[in-house]
Parts: sequence; structure tokens; C-alpha cells
Amino acid sequence: MDAFVLLGSFGLLIIIGMPVAYAMGLAALIGALWMNIPIGAIMIQIAAGVNKFSLLAIPFFVLAGAIMAEGGMARRLVAFASVLVGFIRGGLSLVNILASTFFGAISGSSMADTASIGSVLIPEMARKGYPRAFATAVTVSGSVQAILIPPSHNAVIYSLAAGGSVSIAALFVAGVLPGLLLGLTLAILCLFIAKKKNFPHGERIPLKNALKICVDALWGLMTMVIILGGILSGVFTATESASIAVLWAFFVTMFIYRDYKWRDLPKLAHRTVKTLSIVMILIGFAAAFGFMMALMQIPQAITGAFTAVSDERWAVLLMMNALLLVLGTLMDMAPLILIMTPILLPVATNLGVDPVHFGMIMMINLGMGLITPPVGAVLFVGSAIAKVPIEEVIKALLPFFGAMLFVLAIVTYVPAISLWLPRVVGV
Amino acid sequence: MAETFHRVNDRLYQFCIWVSAISIVVMAGIIPWGIFARYVLGTGSRWPEPVAILLMVLFTFLGSAVSYRAGAHIAVAMVTDRLPESVARPLRGVIHLLMLAVALFMLYYGTTLCIGTWNQSIGELPWMPVGLTYTPVPIAGFITTLFVIEVIFFGSQKQRDVITLDHLAEEEPEAV
Repeated sequence: MDAFVLLGSFGLLIIIGMPVAYAMGLAALIGALWMNIPIGAIMIQIAAGVNKFSLLAIPFFVLAGAIMAEGGMARRLVAFASVLVGFIRGGLSLVNILASTFFGAISGSSMADTASIGSVLIPEMARKGYPRAFATAVTVSGSVQAILIPPSHNAVIYSLAAGGSVSIAALFVAGVLPGLLLGLTLAILCLFIAKKKNFPHGERIPLKNALKICVDALWGLMTMVIILGGILSGVFTATESASIAVLWAFFVTMFIYRDYKWRDLPKLAHRTVKTLSIVMILIGFAAAFGFMMALMQIPQAITGAFTAVSDERWAVLLMMNALLLVLGTLMDMAPLILIMTPILLPVATNLGVDPVHFGMIMMINLGMGLITPPVGAVLFVGSAIAKVPIEEVIKALLPFFGAMLFVLAIVTYVPAISLWLPRVVGV
Repeated sequence: MAETFHRVNDRLYQFCIWVSAISIVVMAGIIPWGIFARYVLGTGSRWPEPVAILLMVLFTFLGSAVSYRAGAHIAVAMVTDRLPESVARPLRGVIHLLMLAVALFMLYYGTTLCIGTWNQSIGELPWMPVGLTYTPVPIAGFITTLFVIEVIFFGSQKQRDVITLDHLAEEEPEAV
């Protein structure tokens, strides 16, 4: 009954359209009143929820990504990808996927990826004869790589939701291979479609230009080297490396690239305040919600329910994937990580699934949720930039969903893809 | 009277967004300073960490008040968008009242928490009361209360100039 009051009131508040963060806070309050727990305890949880050093990494990674995305980085990454794969048949679709792979290495936001890469490449692809809906589908599905490839602020949120016991460094390193696998699978699909539909070849870029483009892009891509190098060598913590990444992003954008205006910086900061505060306040209220769930022993009950259906690892993982995919279509990523990690992670670890591996499974599932209706923020942005109706993009996305489900299945059932690299580098 | 109220809220909105933006920038500066002090100066500063956390709490709560007035918070509109206006309208009223309840909860219990922890201090910064780090909670509760009252009496304000000022030319939804 306790669980029904907490989860039921939360569900009801969400359905009537209350902002998710405040709905979590209010549901926690209702749960506390129901269980006769002092309301002050909920306030302590909320305040303590955002009062943690490890959380600082989130604003820094998001800010660094925002500076890079708005500061002309996308254009340079697209140019860099064009040098590498532009000349192949269907080259521009491959350029799109590869540019997103690179973009993932400087930002963890699929939204920023679609907005910046999409606004450069979708019009360009349309000009060269690619259908707009296909160009949009390539952009939005490619952007999911940003969630997996480090740095990923969603991985930091997952680490936090897992109670801080999962290392951010391990999650970052673990994301590399699943991210590349996703990129490669999408690229192969694009090649196949390009051949079938006879999409055009791109032009080879002369060596002299190519070298200049590579150097230009490497300034930005150094961000990932700084972040991963700093964390893996033990010189910086994740939070510290994120703050260095902000300084580096600022330096490269304002002093090397120099195509962002100083007077636009306050607006960038204002937009970042909005983007960030909605995630950070979610984390605060989710701490109170999680506290009530733990008090009501909801995670244990759910573990029991899953294992009652089956105690086979593959079957439970299949059920969890299905559940996450469905929830992902209905709600955004950050709230789902915060709500579902404390519920599902104990089920997974109970069956011997490594928490880092489970994190990757969750990222891919919820990443797919960002590009599926009815609630798919990245899909909506992609279709708005391309000026293509959502229904047409969805139709073009169908083969890409198939490819992503394939990657999800591989990552789910081959743990080594997530766990081998962290083991090799010793994190 | 109504215009004065909107103007006051506009000023509060600008105050919150500027304080939050400056907090983020300062935070991004003082953590590298901590690293510099540790590796280059060899002194190891203890203050950057608690100060950065204080600034994070500040921008989280003030920024969330900003995001409320700008209509930027993540919400599920899938069901309400499909309801007839005769049902959706009273539902919006219910949500405003519930938001008011949460904002007042932040104001009252946030204040209680600040008072209750004012005499405790942080290890790294003995002069800083723990209660001080929580003051953004009641302040944001108060400002959000004003913003909710504004919405209840005058409807959504997300198209006001102070709010649309920082939008990109091609509008994008705010989310990560």
C-alpha cells in the first residue's frame, strides 16, 4: 500500500502534466505524510541531494559541450569527417554518423549533437539529393552515440543514482566500445541504403586542405584527451577534469576558432542555466523520492517480482530492456535514470550483472527513447531543424531502430563489450 | 498594479538568471584554481570545493525558479495535449496549486533547515555555517511562489521579452 501511495501519486502527477522534478518532490511529501515521517526529513534529502562534490562534474561537462557546440565546433567536425569518409558512396550520411562520433567525444548531449550537426548537415544532404527525412533519421540516430562516448553527463547521473558506488571513470571507458559499435552499425546501414538508393559520392578533399581541416578539428577533440587522460592517469578527478574541459573549450572557441562573439556569451550562459537547472533540481527531488522508495523497500519488492517471473539472467535482462524501452518512449532520459536505477540496478546485480555493464544497457535503451515518439525530444528537434513532419522521419527511422535494437541486444548479452576496456585500462 | 507585479517578477527573473550564470562561471574557475594550487603552488587550497558546492546549490535552486517561469522544466504533455480544453483548463489550475504547495514547502521547510543548521560549520571552511549553503532553497521557494501566483492570475509568462531574450534564432526545446 505504501508503494502504491508513492508511485501512484507520482504517476498521477506526471499524467496531469506537472513538471517531473516537482512531481517527484510532491510524491515524496505525500509518501512521508502517509508514513508519518517528519516533512523536514524530506527537505534534508532534497538539500543534501544537490550538495555533493561529484555532482559538480555535470554542470561542467554540459557547459563545455555547450561552448563547443555553439562555438563552431560542429562545422569543423563535419569537415574533418568529410576528409575521412566523404568520398565514399553515400558519403554524406557516413560523414553525419562520424561527425556525431567525434561530437560525442566533446559533449554528452544528443540534443546538442542533433541541433548543431543537423543544422549543418541536413540542408547539405538535401542539396546533394538525399531525402530530407533520411538525412534527419541519420542525424538523430547518430546523435545517440553522444550518450555513450565519453564524456557523458548521463553516465555521471547514473553513477550518482547508483549511490556513487559505480566509478565515473569506469563508466566513461566502458562507453567507448558500445558507442563505436553503434556508430559502425549505423554506418554499415547507411552504406547499404546508399547502394540501394544510389546516393551520390562526395568529392575528395585536396591534401593541403585536408591537413588544415584535421588540425582545426584536433584542437576541439583534445577535450576528450584531457578528460580521459586526466581521469585515467589519476592526475584529476572526474569533476576536476570536467572543469579543465570547460577552460579548454572556452580557450579553443574564443582564441583559436574565434567565430563566437564575446557579446553572445551571456546568452550562452543563460541558456546553460536553464538546461542545467532542470537536470540539477531533478537530482535534488529524486534524492527525496529515492529516500522514500528505500524506506518503503520498493527496490526489494521489485527485485522479488522480477525474479518471481524468472531467475534466468537473459530473461530478466530481456524484461528490463522492454520496460526501459517503453518508459523511454514516454519520458526524458535524466528523470528515468534517476527513478529507474535504484529500482532496477539491485535486480541486475542480484543476477550477477556488473553495474557498469547495466549502465551501458540503460544508456542505449533510454538513448533510443530520445528518438522515439510520443516523447522524443531529440526526434522533435531533428524534425524541426529539417522542417520535415515527424511521421516522415519516423518512417525513415525504422531501419535505424532495427540497427539500434541489434546493438542493444549485443551490448546486453555480450558483457565484454562494456567491460573489457575498463579492465584493460584498470579502472 | 498588475504591471508592477510583472515588472517586479521580471527583475527577480533577471536577478536569478544572472546570479546563476555568474555562479556557473565562477565555479568553472575555482576548481581549476584548486588544481593549480595543488600541483603548481604545492599548497592545496581547501576552500574551492565547498565554495563551488555552495554556488552549485545556488544556481540549481535559483535556476529552477527561472526555468519554471520560462516553462522549461521537463513535463509529460502527451495526455494533457489530447484532452479537450474544458478538462485541460481545470487540470492546469490543479497543477498551479500543487506547484504553489511545493514552492511554499521549499520556503517554509527550507527556512527551518537553514535555522536548524546555522550553528554547524563545514570542516574545510570553519567560518561558513552549514545553514548558509541551504539559503538558496527558501529564497528560490519564495521567488517560485511569486512566479506561480503570477501564472495563476495572469497565465503563462514564457513569451515575455526578458525570457525570450536568450533564445536561439531557431528555437530549440530546453533539455539535455
